Amino acid sequence: MTRRASAALVTVTMLGWATCAAAQPAVDELRIIAPAAPGGGWDQTARVMQQALQRAGLVRIAPVENVPGAAGTIGLARFIGAEAGRRDVVMVSGLIMLGGIVTHHSPVTLHDVTPLARLTGEYEVIAVPAASPFRSLRDLLDAFTARPESISWGGGSAGGSDQILAGLVADAVRVSPSRVNYIAFSGGGESLSAILGGQVSVGINGLAEFASQIEAGTLRALAISSAARLPGVEVPTLREQGLAIDFENWRSLVAPPGLAAADRARLGSLVKAMVASAPWREALGRYRWLDRYLAGDEFSRFAAAEETRVRDVLRKFAAGEDSSGRAPEPYPWLVIAGLLITGALLAPQLFRSMRGHTADRSRRAPVLLLAAAGVLHLLLLERAGFVLAAAVLFWLTARAFDPLHPLRDGLFAIGMSASAYVLFAHVLHLSLPAGLLAGWL
Amino acid sequence: MHTFELLRDGFASALSWAHLLWALVGVSLGTAVGVLPGIGPALTVALLLPITFNLDPTSAFIMFGGIYYGAMYGGSTTSILLNTPGETASIATAIDGYAMARQGRGAAALTTSAIGSFVAGTLATIALTFFSPLLASVALRFGPAEYFALAVLAFTTVSALIGGSLVRGLFSLFLGLALGLIGIDQLTGDARFAFGIPQLLDGIDVLILVIGLFAVGETFYQGWYHGRDTPEVIAMQTFTGMSREDWSRSWRPWLRGTLIGFPLGVLPVGGSVIPTFLSYSVEKRLSTRPEEFGHGAIEGVAGPEAANNAAAAGVLVPLLTLGLPSSATAAVLLAAFEQYGLQPGPLLFSTRPDLVWTLIASLYIGNVMLLVLNLPLVSVWARVMLVPRPLLFGGILVLASLGTYSLNASMLDVVLLFATGAVGCVMRAHDVPLVPAVLGLVLGPLAELQFRRALAISEGHLTVFVTRPLCATLLALSVVVLITPAFFRDRRT
Repeated sequence: MTRRASAALVTVTMLGWATCAAAQPAVDELRIIAPAAPGGGWDQTARVMQQALQRAGLVRIAPVENVPGAAGTIGLARFIGAEAGRRDVVMVSGLIMLGGIVTHHSPVTLHDVTPLARLTGEYEVIAVPAASPFRSLRDLLDAFTARPESISWGGGSAGGSDQILAGLVADAVRVSPSRVNYIAFSGGGESLSAILGGQVSVGINGLAEFASQIEAGTLRALAISSAARLPGVEVPTLREQGLAIDFENWRSLVAPPGLAAADRARLGSLVKAMVASAPWREALGRYRWLDRYLAGDEFSRFAAAEETRVRDVLRKFAAGEDSSGRAPEPYPWLVIAGLLITGALLAPQLFRSMRGHTADRSRRAPVLLLAAAGVLHLLLLERAGFVLAAAVLFWLTARAFDPLHPLRDGLFAIGMSASAYVLFAHVLHLSLPAGLLAGWL
Repeated sequence: MHTFELLRDGFASALSWAHLLWALVGVSLGTAVGVLPGIGPALTVALLLPITFNLDPTSAFIMFGGIYYGAMYGGSTTSILLNTPGETASIATAIDGYAMARQGRGAAALTTSAIGSFVAGTLATIALTFFSPLLASVALRFGPAEYFALAVLAFTTVSALIGGSLVRGLFSLFLGLALGLIGIDQLTGDARFAFGIPQLLDGIDVLILVIGLFAVGETFYQGWYHGRDTPEVIAMQTFTGMSREDWSRSWRPWLRGTLIGFPLGVLPVGGSVIPTFLSYSVEKRLSTRPEEFGHGAIEGVAGPEAANNAAAAGVLVPLLTLGLPSSATAAVLLAAFEQYGLQPGPLLFSTRPDLVWTLIASLYIGNVMLLVLNLPLVSVWARVMLVPRPLLFGGILVLASLGTYSLNASMLDVVLLFATGAVGCVMRAHDVPLVPAVLGLVLGPLAELQFRRALAISEGHLTVFVTRPLCATLLALSVVVLITPAFFRDRRT
């Protein structure tokens, strides 16, 4: 089964590549890192870039790698650590990463990478469910200024673009952002269902996520964060309603640190060619993204200004927490106390039976072999590569169970590790460390 | 009836040769990625998106639907045979499935899981066909307070899985709860118990804990305690599948699993872990032989497998009717809709009925294909148990490491895998149950987060949990569940 199905996967993949590689592209391979899980905005941006670069014949192959976690800061740290100086890799980033860097006190920032260009932008919309008593932004803000905590704002993860906009709005009506009752949800689906169901008073999200609900009349859009009205979108701007806020969730592209000027210029012109290509322009329309291409020093200046704004508003969010003396959450300490108490009750029994067990000498060899298998595997995985590390793991584990067939086990170890590597790294384009055998497989 | 006509048109379109072919490609791919650890349907669809760009949307979605359902079938295979669940949906299956496989009843376990998946998948697709809008509107009434109450209900229901010794069960549970504390506090964005390690900010993936405790832990345990024993010869008398008794013990769990899985799939609550474990513990509570659970009770495979397929179909309800992605795969499917300029949401059924109904029809067809594809494979798969032990355990560890590394490309995850493996081995050796730790890791953060969200929305008033009727009902139900075991026991003796 696996064989048949993976054969199908190979065929489909090959078909895909074959249609892409018609012309002779200028760049052979450009890896695109999406610092998020499949499905989100950064992942979509990376995959649209992949299509555009390949279909426009600019790059022969542009594999996307997902490095999810902590608003992109984990991807950022890895990008800086593992890719420094490389000229064949770029990473998607943007406003949300700025927020993540502040919220998660990231040791690395966007100053540590080479900025390339801003690519797209998405405006944010403030909306309420159709049944809400708030008919306009004015209604909402009146209630909010009268008693800020009574309005619950639902949106994406803490420190993200939705929370930043909530803070900017509060700031504009002279309410401290620390008094915004912001309810963070993970991901668009969760927050959208809370907003639709009227679980929160008001919701903030990107225009694309809200568009079909607004069209269907299940949500009433109170304001959009663009500077002027958008054609075809009958939603008043924040400016029209007296709040001097322009805000967009922009996405950009960065290259690794330590790049030579020539390489930076080469990547820059590649991006420029991509945003002008027909496949990219088509994709912008499909995803309702705005073309916000901005490169060079202008982009650097823009990013610096945005960083100041994000830091400023997120600091105000946090400011209230210390002064109000928020009570420490009891839950974590209850859990830890429970663990310690049950652990203390169990420990004597465990030690007693453990001592009896380790006295038995005949069992030492397998234990030592298994421990060696695990430790060597961990040491070798990123140094010597997956194939060698996995073969060592397999062989030593097999030794622990059976000392009689070292050769047979060895052959199986190498065969399985190598074929797993080929399947994952070459057919599925998932990143596994190649290590010492990089040139061979 | 209107729905019937639309569905008939859908079938007419789905039964064309081209669409059938794409459905077949989808279900085959799905089964394959379900079997491979670390690659789920979400990643597969994301990988295929650029390739399917030139396909018409209907064909692409038929294929994606096939991948999605197929992965749910394939996921149980490694769970049952290798104790290595490839997706969170098949964790519960591993408990009794692996025990059955070790007794030479792997074929029966695989058969009941395939047929259960088919039954649940088909029934849930019927429910999806006829009740989507209704269900979606009910799902919207669930706010943080209700989700908290649901988590409490899940806690009390699965307390049956704590096992014989209360201290051991509670220790395992607290271990899972403590691991669940690690990571970003989602409500405030502050790091908790991350010890300055950025990779810990997103918490510990439940799949790593499960593969570590179950697959790696079992390998270590077998090596340590039985490494040099002559392996017991597994009696393979039954390659053929299920006996008459297996059938009569399976069909009720299939139906109950469907009933539990589908509604919980519609509600975006903690993926498919909760429905599968709820089904497992319900089966254990209702069984006349609860002592067999954990040692190869076929109900413990039939129920959760049905529940996970029904939940998978349930996830499509909010996706198609409201445009709400409630799982990783649903989020990728949503992105795929957008690639074609389609907006799933309240208007999709009226703007593109052809696509929606063809997709739904192809889900029925895909289910039949999966059954036809998987049943003959059962006896092939079951022979995995004949692989000599050294090679089997070596292979399990390599697969575990491979799957873990490809989740996030993080070395720390692999370190955690082997560390939890060592812990799992010690726990196994001293009869500390492993399942409560998994439940703690899944349910703890969910309960805490929703509790605090509910309090934040109500400005700190605890009354929110009793004044909302739905929430109060669920909490009352939890109390009932907590009391009934005593009642059942009395009646039985």
